[in-house]
Amino acid sequence: MKLPVKWINESFKKGYSAVELSDLLTLSGIESEIERKKDEEILDIQLTPNRADCFSYKGIIQEIRALDSSKITNKGLTDPKIHHNEIMDVDVQSPNDSPVFMTRVIRSINQDVKSPSWLINKLDLSGYKSINVIVDIANFVMLETGQPLHTYDLKKINKKIIVRRANEKEAIDILDGNRKLLDSNFLVIADEEKSIGIAGIMGSLDSGISDDTKDIVLESAYFNYETIMGRARSLSLHSEASMRFERGVDPEIQEYAIQRFTNLINEIAGGENGPIHSFISKKDKPKNKFISLRKNKIKQILGITIPNHAIKSILNRLDMEIEEKDSGYTGWKVRAPSYRFDINEECDLIEEISRVYGFDQIPQKIEQQNIALMTKSSRQIKREQIDSVFHGLGYYEVVNYSFISPSMNSLSNSNKDMMDLQNPISIEMSVMRNSLWPGLLNNLSHNIKRQHRNIKIFEVGKRFASDKKVPIEINVISGLIYGQRTMESWSYKAARLDFFDLKGHIQDIFTAFKLKKIKFESSSHPMLCPGVCAEIKLGRKKIGMIGMLNPELSADMKLEHDPFLFELDYEALKLPQLKNYTHQEYHPSSRRDLSFLISHEIEVSQILDKINDLKINELKETVVFDLFPKKDGENTQNSVSIGLIFQAKSRTLKDVEIDQFVAKVIKMLKSDFQIDIK
Amino acid sequence: MTDNLSDLSDSAIQEINKTSSSNELELVRVKYLGKRGSITGALKSLSEIDPKDRPAFGKRINEIKSLIQLKLSEKKASLQKKEINQSIDDKKIDVTLPGRNSFQGHRHPITRTLLEIEEIFYGAGFEVEDGPEIEDEYHNFTALNISDNHPARAMHDTFYFNSEYLLRTHTSPIQIRSMEREGVPIRVIAPGKVYRRDSDITHTPMFHQIEGLVIDKGINFSHLKGILHQFINTFFEDNTEVRFRPSYFPFTEPSAEVDILSKENKWLEILGCGMVHPKVLENLGINTETYSGYAFGMGVERLTMLKYGIKDIRSFYENDLNFLNQF
Repeated sequence: MKLPVKWINESFKKGYSAVELSDLLTLSGIESEIERKKDEEILDIQLTPNRADCFSYKGIIQEIRALDSSKITNKGLTDPKIHHNEIMDVDVQSPNDSPVFMTRVIRSINQDVKSPSWLINKLDLSGYKSINVIVDIANFVMLETGQPLHTYDLKKINKKIIVRRANEKEAIDILDGNRKLLDSNFLVIADEEKSIGIAGIMGSLDSGISDDTKDIVLESAYFNYETIMGRARSLSLHSEASMRFERGVDPEIQEYAIQRFTNLINEIAGGENGPIHSFISKKDKPKNKFISLRKNKIKQILGITIPNHAIKSILNRLDMEIEEKDSGYTGWKVRAPSYRFDINEECDLIEEISRVYGFDQIPQKIEQQNIALMTKSSRQIKREQIDSVFHGLGYYEVVNYSFISPSMNSLSNSNKDMMDLQNPISIEMSVMRNSLWPGLLNNLSHNIKRQHRNIKIFEVGKRFASDKKVPIEINVISGLIYGQRTMESWSYKAARLDFFDLKGHIQDIFTAFKLKKIKFESSSHPMLCPGVCAEIKLGRKKIGMIGMLNPELSADMKLEHDPFLFELDYEALKLPQLKNYTHQEYHPSSRRDLSFLISHEIEVSQILDKINDLKINELKETVVFDLFPKKDGENTQNSVSIGLIFQAKSRTLKDVEIDQFVAKVIKMLKSDFQIDIK
Repeated sequence: MTDNLSDLSDSAIQEINKTSSSNELELVRVKYLGKRGSITGALKSLSEIDPKDRPAFGKRINEIKSLIQLKLSEKKASLQKKEINQSIDDKKIDVTLPGRNSFQGHRHPITRTLLEIEEIFYGAGFEVEDGPEIEDEYHNFTALNISDNHPARAMHDTFYFNSEYLLRTHTSPIQIRSMEREGVPIRVIAPGKVYRRDSDITHTPMFHQIEGLVIDKGINFSHLKGILHQFINTFFEDNTEVRFRPSYFPFTEPSAEVDILSKENKWLEILGCGMVHPKVLENLGINTETYSGYAFGMGVERLTMLKYGIKDIRSFYENDLNFLNQF
């Protein structure tokens, strides 16, 4: 809402500067900024949804008076003359929705008269266009009093006005030219044959006034805010009237508004007034109740004791009624004025007192609590552990949107249903990601376009799915590597990052978390290249995937190398418990190397597993130190070299013993894999 | 005989002087002082000499032997020095060539801020809590005193999946879940992603918030002011001028926005807070006569932008390496 500063000052003896007003209002919860238009200063006021009462000139004036204890120069209202007895029949069928409904017939308005310049100017500075004298005055009275008025062309109304709920699928062509379909959630204003307006939101196209309208019916109503709330939005509509009605209009101001309109129209464009026809359902009209306000509650919430006289002065300035119980010893009973819909409980009163008293009057204190000396949380230590490994390996952390395009999502392997948004921003952001890889691939494309050639990125976040319509959220850590293993250098040749770089990085993470029973098993995934893809297992549980991007997917991406990807279950990484240190004596280790040929069908890990199965306690470590394919006639075999490192805990091993261990291994290789060692 | 010895001594010294490497010098040593060397031989031939000449002869040989040994060790030292100097010369490199460094990774600025804020509050005794990003209407709205048609629901443009589920529009539902789980007293912060249907230079449809909640006996508005001002000073590493401005949130009352005074002397809104609304507590069966508390919520992107002078919120989600490597 916009109000020119000059207009505001018309109500006060004291002349406020724009800055004074803006500070005064902003610091008590009515955010206002200063704008300039045609050399005039204007306050642009942003209201929070609870402050319906400030949605008018009158409301802002009341607020300034309350905040600054200033005097308002009151201009009285004279009752307009009544020229005839004509009234419009009104049948309020739904009094609960419309407890106050007032009308007046005004005939013979001279529409050739233009709105006077003071009116056009005030409207213009407040952001309203001048349309014609009738609409201008209705808008002005709404702006001034907060009461939306509606004017109908008398001759277009068939016999009487009915206020009722809309029928199912009742259609109405509204002022802006659109047709809207209503249902019983909506209140309509109708005549005997058709609806002529959606109550509190917008009138119909053909019942409204036009340039040749002379005779009008003026409507000034109070609609229950719950009847209007959310309705305009559900029709994608937004009107000055609906914004006021859904927050709540003062139920006592309808008559004042109708008289004010009549006075202005008579003064500017003549017209002959009929009497006010007034429907009021007392029992349906909201009435504020007395609320008890306890001084100890004020202290409990604000932490300070405000003197009685200060509390009473604030309440008086806010037009609250005060009932004394025990001269304010324990507190009071307080009733808010009719225009305050937001004051229903004690805490509402405490808020009012605190904001008018001033938040700056409340000191800053530090809670007294049992102090606990704490190191970092385990959650934080875990995150730092992960980050330190990945940062050391050169990974940049990225953060991507949780929603992606359905086509990207269907690429990743999931039997679970996708979570689709009903109202996405765009199709590219319409389903919840069931993998972090599409986001990482996007980041890869973006950065390749920016001429980055070596890219290592990781992300920690959730992937989503649903099972029998119940959403599932899984925390994962995902990463992507692309490009060279090392920076381009004068001192060595470039080498491309490959599967085993990435696998090594994952192993580094497992080492950091002291996870030992980790296995990589050949597997498949729609986004990964067959044959270069593995499932990561902790014991028997699958905790991740690793592999090369499927060349079918990378074909369009203009890549120089193949990207490699991984995903790991974040919860699978648990901070290791620190065990007691065990003292170890040093005894020298001995190494024996074995070289042999195996069919390329056999995975080296199978052989290593079998060696482990021999349970030779003194075998401390096994290394694979050479591996290359060797043509042997028709079939290609792999030449494998492994080193066996033996070490005992309590003695130096003798050659004879080691020879026995090696013989065991050789025997197993022969029996299980038909391998002959030369 | 004596002349012979003198010749031997002269030739040995001559040969020592002539050598140009440790190896040559060793050969000379062996030639004279080795097991079969000339001096050793001469000592061995002592028995063939007339006994009365023996002492003088022996003494003479030993003198010559000492002399040769001295010369040898002098020469050895000088040769070694020469050789080390040579090898040092050979090792010379261009130290200005680039080293074989590896890439170093970087933390995303949002994570950086999140962890920093977590740490500040953890130090003040706050536990860190998580909650689901896909929420239900009850926890996101109803439990927070935002009724079905409440105008405040229009303040959040909500992403819906169906009538039951939505993407949380704030981290406040974690407050409710924490209190459901743990009851009171409670002292938590809850960081996380939140979603609103909004996208322009100052809004992204996903962003991050941190929510704080303290419920205990004797907690009041002055404590809220105290902790937030301390937090702001710690986070911005400066004494910052702060103001608390009345505002409105359905789940707190009184509610406030907190502004900080920028270097350009402008007030910038940085977080929202207030005393937890009694309805929120009553819904959870908490006695509001005994317990009271405060809650606050802040935008992580906004705080990060203010701290590092980032202009466009969208840069956080482009993940450009040239942006990320500055953090």
